[in-house]
Amino acid sequence: MKSALNVVRANQKFIEENFSGSLMQTLSRLPGVQAMNVGSGESKPVIRGLGFNRVLVAENGIKHEGQQWGDDHGLEIDQYAIDQAEVIKGPASLTYGSDAIGGVINLKSNTMPLKKFAGQVNLFGRTNNESIGSSVRLTGRNGKFWYKANATWMDYADYKVPADSIEYYSYWIKLKDQRLRNTAGREMDGNLMLGYAGDRWNTSFRIADVNAKAGFFANAHGLEVRLSDIDYDSSRRDIDLPYHTVNHFWVSNHTDWNWADGMLEGNFAYQNNRQRELAEPVSHGYMPIPTNALERSFTKQTFSANVKAMQQMGKHDLQAGGNVEYQRNRQGGWGFILPDFEQLTFGVFAMDKWNLSDKLSLTAGARFDRGSMRIHSYHDWYKTPLKASTSDSPMDGTVLQGTLQQGDSTYMERSANLRRSYNSFTWSVGVNRMLGDWVLKLNVGKSFRMPIAKELGMDGVNYNIFRYEKGNTSLKPEESYQVDAGIVCEKGVLSMQLTPYLNYFPNYIYLNPTPQYKEGLQLYYYTQAKVLRWGFEASVSWKILPYLKLDADGEYLYARQLSGEKKGYGLPFSTPWSARAELRYLLPTQNPAKSGFVALEWQVVGTQDIIVPPEEKTKGHQLLNASIGKKFKLGENQLEITLRGENLLGKRYYDHTSYYRLMGVPEPGRNFSAMVSWNF
Amino acid sequence: MKRSTIYLLYIFFAAAVMGIAGSLTSCSSDDTDDTTVNDLEKPEIVDGDLPNPIDCQQYHRGDVIAFRYTFTDNAELGNFNIEIHNNFDHHTHSTSAGDCTLDPKKNPVSPWVYNQDYPIPSGLKSYDAKVDITCPKDIDPGDYHFMVRVTDKSGWQQLKAVSIKILE
Repeated sequence: MKSALNVVRANQKFIEENFSGSLMQTLSRLPGVQAMNVGSGESKPVIRGLGFNRVLVAENGIKHEGQQWGDDHGLEIDQYAIDQAEVIKGPASLTYGSDAIGGVINLKSNTMPLKKFAGQVNLFGRTNNESIGSSVRLTGRNGKFWYKANATWMDYADYKVPADSIEYYSYWIKLKDQRLRNTAGREMDGNLMLGYAGDRWNTSFRIADVNAKAGFFANAHGLEVRLSDIDYDSSRRDIDLPYHTVNHFWVSNHTDWNWADGMLEGNFAYQNNRQRELAEPVSHGYMPIPTNALERSFTKQTFSANVKAMQQMGKHDLQAGGNVEYQRNRQGGWGFILPDFEQLTFGVFAMDKWNLSDKLSLTAGARFDRGSMRIHSYHDWYKTPLKASTSDSPMDGTVLQGTLQQGDSTYMERSANLRRSYNSFTWSVGVNRMLGDWVLKLNVGKSFRMPIAKELGMDGVNYNIFRYEKGNTSLKPEESYQVDAGIVCEKGVLSMQLTPYLNYFPNYIYLNPTPQYKEGLQLYYYTQAKVLRWGFEASVSWKILPYLKLDADGEYLYARQLSGEKKGYGLPFSTPWSARAELRYLLPTQNPAKSGFVALEWQVVGTQDIIVPPEEKTKGHQLLNASIGKKFKLGENQLEITLRGENLLGKRYYDHTSYYRLMGVPEPGRNFSAMVSWNF
Repeated sequence: MKRSTIYLLYIFFAAAVMGIAGSLTSCSSDDTDDTTVNDLEKPEIVDGDLPNPIDCQQYHRGDVIAFRYTFTDNAELGNFNIEIHNNFDHHTHSTSAGDCTLDPKKNPVSPWVYNQDYPIPSGLKSYDAKVDITCPKDIDPGDYHFMVRVTDKSGWQQLKAVSIKILE
């Protein structure tokens, strides 16, 4: 690794051996990477405690555009179509632009197949949510032409938690058979790639679609805890209201042109992301009962293009490039949360890697970005009475007269027309030094993130979590300064890695809860505060015997707001410290086609008591996991079986970063999963 | 540059970074110790001398519902809100509010919708809230939920739900 940034990679073998309910749950086994669980089959990425629009997910270098801002939206990517995942821990705006402020997850699926024809059939299942699924992959190559096709199908039932009831807003929700009512779901993905690999130039086209439907926990979604006439307990595999559906369609092209000491590369993509949330229509406040179940819908279309040139000149590796992205988002449904918007961004960057010697290199780069956004006005579809002002300030002991004066009524405006544009200049410098068995890295850089439509233009009730949210049109682009270090040492049977970082935000965008009420709900508004964060990941790998390996890793994160109304508090969804140790025994064979392993893993997660309203403190927990895998040779073919047991002790615990944490829903109980792969 | 020089420079730089991190941390923990300075407690809604309304109470249209509860907080109270909505569809709220006898389910025609925010004078740790709410004469009679919400200055919130019935 010659980069000055801290990058971790996970190949297909890692993804297969650690496969979980979702891609992010699989990758969360990498130190510094966490999954924010949205349900049992969906989760969103978190790197060093930052998530949502502060982590950029790219597929083959192109930014994946879903509804990253949403609390209950996962990542729409097929984990079985990925060859390699690369995680950049720390700000990487220099090459990726806005949103890469917390880090980047770059998923690669365009490696060229080597064989004339090969295929893989995977069958997998999990006991906790009774999930079953299958994934088929066919790849082939004929001369200079190649193809890759993937299809994945998955179906899961309501997931099981070690609890008989959940307490939410002073209401006890009884669970039948410890199942989290209506969290079942299904997913269907398809992916086709066609490529040409020439002597000087390569090109490949990709067309992909991810389609999923998943239920929300029936008793704690929407404005209040509700009983329903729907018989949720009749089947644990059916998906009743409330549920959401998502379809992510993707078409892209990658082309590169190579010469002796350089190359030119281009990526072009169109994405169509369509989310629909359906719920039983209910009246709230002055909103009458809607006539249909479509609570919200979002259709986001994204066009992106990026071009990059690399040239080696003596001891310098030069790189320069630019990218353009256009987004158009349209909303619908009776529950308003995000205004319609269009967004155009472009950026140019240049960087140089100066190889002073084989063992010392310096990196420096700079980037300029410009983004403009247009937000459309939105009015309620129902009328709200304009009431007389309630400015009478009561003194202790005074009896207030609570009669409303009815007057005119109006369609309230929830979001105003708005145009904003932003400029941003970012930079990064780094050094990479090899000293015998040691590799030392240091990088200092600035990253940024443009405010999103919700942060600027929202002005209404968030129908998901009982609160009134108000945007702030004067928000500045969020900036982050970070110092990253990396110390890697490989000495015989031992390898060690320490990656500390120090991070400062002069203007972190934060949704601040206030003591005020608006339309009967607590008012939250977007504001900016100074934030200091630091932390580290540490890992040790020790080959005790040729066939016995001990891996231990841990991570710690400190975050504090240094200004504003919540000065002294932490940040929402802050990851607590955690540590993990794994003992792995490999079968003593030299033949990789007959290899096998047994692994036992112990995980400790600390207590999170640095919280902000409305969070609750989350107690620490310990988990015991185990996995076993073996490859078999069947003539020319290969069969691989992997079994994995999670939370073997069936511990009841809470994950501070989970979407369901605020509702007091514990994490899944004991789970066994199995995967059978047949390679031909 | 010699290898050892670079090595030393690097160690120095890394130490400086960690040193800054450490000192910033210790500073902030001196000024604002997590548990002592930061308010981490929610306000509470407690029964005063004569808490009202209480579960399963019955009122007539045109009656005055006297709201009498006491709010307390460890630091400073914020504001409160009273919201009244129908329970004609039996959607229920809390364990205590669910046990009253309910009328048969029905569709709302002209239900009572009440939603009002009230300030609490600043600087108080305890406040006896007294609000008289007149029930309009032209609303649908039936089962209603009486929701009380209170905040403190730091943005913590507490809720209470009471089930009442409005008779003709």
